[in-house]
Amino acid sequence: MFPSEIIIVPAIFIGLPWIIMHYMTRWKTAATITNDDESLLEELYQLAKRLDERMDTVERLVASDNPDFKPARIQHDQDIDNLPLRELDRMLAERGERK
Amino acid sequence: MSSDRTKFYRDKQNAKLFGVCAGLADYTGIDVLWCRLGFVVLTLATGFGFPIYIALGLLAAKKPPHLYVDRDEQKYWQRVRQSPKRTAREIRARFRDIDRRLADVESFYVSGNPRLSAEIENLR
Repeated sequence: MFPSEIIIVPAIFIGLPWIIMHYMTRWKTAATITNDDESLLEELYQLAKRLDERMDTVERLVASDNPDFKPARIQHDQDIDNLPLRELDRMLAERGERK
Repeated sequence: MSSDRTKFYRDKQNAKLFGVCAGLADYTGIDVLWCRLGFVVLTLATGFGFPIYIALGLLAAKKPPHLYVDRDEQKYWQRVRQSPKRTAREIRARFRDIDRRLADVESFYVSGNPRLSAEIENLR
């Protein structure tokens, strides 16, 4: 009876608050960003969005004036990517059959 | 006042009771259903769930109705709350992408100079 209380009472009244405080201080130092950071992030987000849209417009204008201008974009389903991918698929399938 | 995008709100618009779970879902980006389920499990398993819910429901402010313009902005701020550093890197990547595209347009005009050649063609 007596020894178990010696362990449990300090565990609840000292150990538990200790753990909670420890993680609370950690959380406060690690995760917070200041108000300035937040407004900066907000501004950067809006700026990036605006510039993206403007860039789209400029590329469209240039492409309509000059048909030989092709904006370099990442495009899906191109032969240059598809051929090695098919090769990879084939090799994987072969390996699967062998196993 | 300006830190109103990284604060925890209860989302009364999508609420079932106080909107704590909906607010949590909005804050973290986890689906609402999992938040509600988590609170139910927490209540049944330990009994802490419901008191925490009530406390948050009384303490947290209501979410302002037009905090985000669109869905992209909401997702952006969820990512900021998860990791501001990563979001800053993503923004930098976007700026670099714009810079690259602008450089493409610039080099097209500088190297080819299509307008000048067209003018010369007109003069001939």
